[in-house]
Amino acid sequence: MTTRYARTPKPSGSTFEVLSWFYMRASGALLALMVVFHLIWMHYVIGLTNIDFDVIAGRWTGPGGIFWRSYDLTLLILASLHGMNGIRFVTDDYIHNRGWRAVVKALIALVLLLMVVFGGLVIFTFNG
Amino acid sequence: MSANPKKGFVSSTLSYKGGIGHWSWILHRLGGLGIAFFLILHILDIFMVGVSRAAFEELLFIYHEPLLRPVIWALVFGVFYHALNGLRIIIQDFWPHMFRYQKQLATTVWVIVIVLTVFLVGVDIAGMLA
Amino acid sequence: MQVTLKIQRFNPEKDSAPYWKEYTIEAEPTDRVLDGLLKIKLEQDGTLTMRSSCAHGICGSDAMRINGVNRLACKSLFQEVGNNVTVEPIAGLPVIKDLVVDMEPFMEHYRSVLPFFINDDPPPEKERLQSEEDRLKFEETTKCILCGCCTTSCPTFWATDAYVGPAAIVQAHRFIFDSRDQGSAQRLEILADPDGVWRCRTIFNCTNACPREIKVTEAIAEVKKEILFSKL
Repeated sequence: MTTRYARTPKPSGSTFEVLSWFYMRASGALLALMVVFHLIWMHYVIGLTNIDFDVIAGRWTGPGGIFWRSYDLTLLILASLHGMNGIRFVTDDYIHNRGWRAVVKALIALVLLLMVVFGGLVIFTFNG
Repeated sequence: MSANPKKGFVSSTLSYKGGIGHWSWILHRLGGLGIAFFLILHILDIFMVGVSRAAFEELLFIYHEPLLRPVIWALVFGVFYHALNGLRIIIQDFWPHMFRYQKQLATTVWVIVIVLTVFLVGVDIAGMLA
Repeated sequence: MQVTLKIQRFNPEKDSAPYWKEYTIEAEPTDRVLDGLLKIKLEQDGTLTMRSSCAHGICGSDAMRINGVNRLACKSLFQEVGNNVTVEPIAGLPVIKDLVVDMEPFMEHYRSVLPFFINDDPPPEKERLQSEEDRLKFEETTKCILCGCCTTSCPTFWATDAYVGPAAIVQAHRFIFDSRDQGSAQRLEILADPDGVWRCRTIFNCTNACPREIKVTEAIAEVKKEILFSKL
């Protein structure tokens, strides 16, 4: 057993930051592939000017429906969490007032919740 | 008289001549914020698909309006840059000796991003002309 | 050659804010920026204030922002920085006078990572042996002279001086990867804090700024990996 040395403030021992750092890398790697594929699919395979209600409806209710719903849901959850966690990083860097920081972080959490709820709702319940 | 002034982070950030890593970080951060903001809008517009056909068709101008194309292209560039630069950071984080090739990797990111962006913008323009 | 130095001046007894002042001197291309500053102090304006000690890149006293990047004034020759030179104090630390900044916040972070050898085993009869391979793991980070060039080139540190900063992480790295040291777990716990290594955004300014050519960002990444694999 080595001597414990005093330090102020004491380390929190929390694993939240390391997990959040790891999440950004893991989800980032997946998202990079999925979003690039998404963009190429929508711009090149479908074409921006061809996008309309029937294209989206056909994507979710057609033969590949399960695939596209899972793809879109995965993208939704990974990207919302990645994006809002990124904004949390920026908040930590630039907002130093403890009160304001708490307010902004609460707002980020709320927006994240709404993003997943709204996005998830349409992906799950859409039936044409 | 004010004692002990300290250069603010905004002027420090903009005036430091830190090279490609410094500017990559600024672009990565601004791009990330832009993409996150668009993601919120994108979730809302796709949510309208579930509301009704008419509600979604009201919003189709986002994808069809030629005047909005530059915004879409800026976004496409931002997404490609954030994705590729993010991959560079991941590679360097997990294989730290790759930081020795920081400049080469950062340049490679730019080359791939430009190729991808030019390709998609070209595809969009071809679609508009067709 | 004729050199124009644009220097940021600030005297807390007279000035409400820092301002720029230009000085023109005659200098050799092989003269260092420090020589130029000392020449101005000697011949033109005795009130110009800066830190310097050994003047040979070892003591780390004269870190300043020269032409927009952090360097040691004693390791910057006019032939490489040109004949229009801007000199300002390193950023992110309070300016005491002219080019002198208060290093205390920086030193506080340095002390916080337990930058000393920890080993409670009774000392062996001879020295504590270490293989060449183990020694090489932290060879790089033994070269740090605590000049502050890296920490004050870091955009995260400019935004929040709560961030422990690259220099302190380099110092921690030197002991964390020392096979003879037993305090690694404590240091990793300190650096795993929200204001520890996770504030590093791998911007790379620190590595470019280091006058000792330490691969700072690489060292920080090694510490991050060490924490990640100890927690997962």
